[in-house]
Amino acid sequence: MIDTAQDLKEYKKRLKNALHNDFLRQTLKNFYEAYPAGRARALEGLDVQGLRAQIAACKDQALPRIEELFETFKTHAEAAGVKVHLARTALDANEIIATIAKDNGVKKIVKSKSMTAEETFLNHHLEQEGLEVVETDLGEWIIQLRHEGPSHMVMPAIHLSRQEVADLFTKVTEEPQEPDIEKLVKVARREMRKHFLSADMGISGANFAIAPTGTLGIISNEGNARLTTTLPRVHVALVGLDKLVPDLHTALQILKVLPPSATGQVITSYVTWITGATECTTAPGGKKEMHVVFLDNGRLALARDPVFSQALRCVRCGACANVCPIYSLVGGHNYGHVYIGAIGLILTYFYHGRKNAQAIVQNCLSCQACKSVCPAGIDLPHLIKETYGEVLRQGYPKPFKNKLLARVLKDRRLFHFLLRRAYLAQKPLARPKGGLIRHLPFFFGKEHDFRSLPAIAKTPFRDMWSRLYEKVENPRYRVALFGGCLVDFVYPEQGHALIKLLKGRGVQLEYPLGQTCCGLPAQALGEKDVAREVALQNLKAIDPSDYDYIVTLCASCASHLKEAYPRLLEDEPGLAVKVKQLTDKLIDFSSFMTTVLKVSPKEFQGSRKKVAYHSPCHLCRGLGVTQEPRDLLAAAGLDYRTARREDVCCGMAGSYSFEFPELSAELLRQKLDAVEETGAELLVTDCPGCVLQLRGGMDKRGAKIKVKHIAEAVAEEKKG
Amino acid sequence: MNHSRNMEILKERAEAVQVVVTEVPDPAQAWRYAVELTQKQGGAAIAAPGWDPDSLAALEKECAQAGLGLYRQNLRDQIGGFHTGLTRADWGIAATGTLVLESTSEDLRLATMLCETHVAVLPRSRLKPDSLSLEAELAKLMGEPPRYLAFITGASRTADIERVLTLGVHGPLELHLLILED
Repeated sequence: MIDTAQDLKEYKKRLKNALHNDFLRQTLKNFYEAYPAGRARALEGLDVQGLRAQIAACKDQALPRIEELFETFKTHAEAAGVKVHLARTALDANEIIATIAKDNGVKKIVKSKSMTAEETFLNHHLEQEGLEVVETDLGEWIIQLRHEGPSHMVMPAIHLSRQEVADLFTKVTEEPQEPDIEKLVKVARREMRKHFLSADMGISGANFAIAPTGTLGIISNEGNARLTTTLPRVHVALVGLDKLVPDLHTALQILKVLPPSATGQVITSYVTWITGATECTTAPGGKKEMHVVFLDNGRLALARDPVFSQALRCVRCGACANVCPIYSLVGGHNYGHVYIGAIGLILTYFYHGRKNAQAIVQNCLSCQACKSVCPAGIDLPHLIKETYGEVLRQGYPKPFKNKLLARVLKDRRLFHFLLRRAYLAQKPLARPKGGLIRHLPFFFGKEHDFRSLPAIAKTPFRDMWSRLYEKVENPRYRVALFGGCLVDFVYPEQGHALIKLLKGRGVQLEYPLGQTCCGLPAQALGEKDVAREVALQNLKAIDPSDYDYIVTLCASCASHLKEAYPRLLEDEPGLAVKVKQLTDKLIDFSSFMTTVLKVSPKEFQGSRKKVAYHSPCHLCRGLGVTQEPRDLLAAAGLDYRTARREDVCCGMAGSYSFEFPELSAELLRQKLDAVEETGAELLVTDCPGCVLQLRGGMDKRGAKIKVKHIAEAVAEEKKG
Repeated sequence: MNHSRNMEILKERAEAVQVVVTEVPDPAQAWRYAVELTQKQGGAAIAAPGWDPDSLAALEKECAQAGLGLYRQNLRDQIGGFHTGLTRADWGIAATGTLVLESTSEDLRLATMLCETHVAVLPRSRLKPDSLSLEAELAKLMGEPPRYLAFITGASRTADIERVLTLGVHGPLELHLLILED
């Protein structure tokens, strides 16, 4: 049975075990590395963004109409001889299906893969009713025999080796079985054929329920869904209400992206469309006894939720797990309850309760890898944070850091006072040079020792501002710098680099001193109210009407300002205009240099220094900026060397790296290995958070590669 | 996009999922192909539901000559007894290398699901560029229940053990597509 960690302490213990499971790590790594290319190949020639927008729009339009679609489906399916049921709860669904079995004198049931049946723990219920249930999807059969839950929505047994499967099959068949995959598949074929032919009832799920014709659409590779819906005399489909679609067109559009997103296939081997009770020669009257059980289990209410309804757009492809750096390290049994991956962190709370969600929901980098591939355009990282907020509201004890943050962050003066104090407190720990701390403060455990932490700067950028400020006559552009806490208090030199690069270009730079933390850390901890409060303060400090651009050196701040501020402040009357102006004028450093100022190689020395680049999550996915930093490196006369997977998270992710240091360390290790392979002497990136992580990691491994913000690297190349 | 380009795409996509694609000039060649393939693979019988009487007569002759059994109906009684399923395909979808089979007849389903090798015959004129260009036809069929429609793209496959692609876990181990001139 599924047993999900219910507190952080237990959860971290399991994560550690998973990190040391070599087979799991290798399997997941292979898949993680192979998946993006497979997906891209399968999607070749399709307008992926357009399809995503269409699917999102179709689903969003269908959600408020679910009950109407249900009625339409019911009318048409019943006219075609199908009995349609609506189950309010998981138990209702299980009981309805058990009753159908009883009424039809069923003893044995074959089942094709259904996540909805996993959701209701249907097998368990039917077995307690004395029925024999056999899963026929190979992966599902394997985990059924092992009494486990799936570890991936599409590849449920991905965590197991051929040896483990061979041992299992040896036990089941009572004959020795070799760890030869082809032979093992034959064993399954043989065993399963017997079950198919002797079963009285087949249970399937469905990927689509097409309302106007009462048609079910079922996707499968193995063909077991075809046998399940054909051979036994009774067929029951258990379908979530969210699978109702208004027409065949929507189903065909989803079908274009679902298999590529799931397994990198253009299409699965089989797609089955069933309308009405079809011929079945072993059934009384020669006609299949067919039932469709729709499951609510909270879906109708979820469909009306202003924030979470988009979770119901999910088409269950599993892409969010496929691209998740954390999933690739710890696997599905540590990344969901029944539903796995980013969507699993959200749905677990709604379908399987706070206790099962409260630890796992904290394990998200917010790197947006999932969001960037979700074929239904679900803003998964956002919903995960919202879910965490709900978990806290529903009584999960608030961590101390939340209480501290709520107290401190809202009060800019107090916050900045504490940062200045921290400079004094760290003094005995700081190294004389290099801006790093020599020893970790005592309250950090040794698992945090994977990177050197930076020292707080002696003089924050804001305190130098009155001396740095230069008045520009008749400026071309009026620009405000949104510094962010790290640039202001830890890396003021990054701000200096910007000033150096803007000199003589007719840019009137301002640093509005009322600005404070962007609020991302608060949002990351589920403290929406605090995030809203600081957003208001920043809008007060920086009136976007006063400027042509608001430039940031921090990708995380920028992406938070751009994505979260509109959401956080949507209920504040009169602010919508300001927020829109802010997001329209917001620009990251590299884009400002290349697309606004249009820097050219002749302004730089052309040193051809070998540099590698780390693409921050919040820049490449959050803001969609990918080309500009590379263009800037080229313009600055640097020899840019591409590294493997430049766009994978470095493991920093704000407070994440303090909560889950071992996972953060592992991502950092992979990142630095990839950078070292390039032979670069310098690693640049456009986010001070990433600089913190990468520089601290390079220092720990004693590598010669320097880590700098791209502004510093480019400023050093400037002539004169 | 023209028809022959679509045919190339269909072949390319189908072959990418291990479908064996062959062009046949007339039905006789299709029967011969199915019979020879069955013999070569050591099969004893062919299940061929859903064909018109003329076609069947020719196929029956080929099978008799080769000493193969031929089942046309009541396939429930023949499960395990036929090696090859020989069926028509109602449409082809180029973009995904897919065959569409109107499979409401139980015999047709059993032939395509329980055979070891599936041989499907697609008339060249029945090719569509993508699924949306078939939407109207499919929607019409769905509007006339009962209806069981199958998209088939390659043989039965799994990657459930260590993500290693393996064919024939439940359904056919091989899919052969014969493109028939018409």
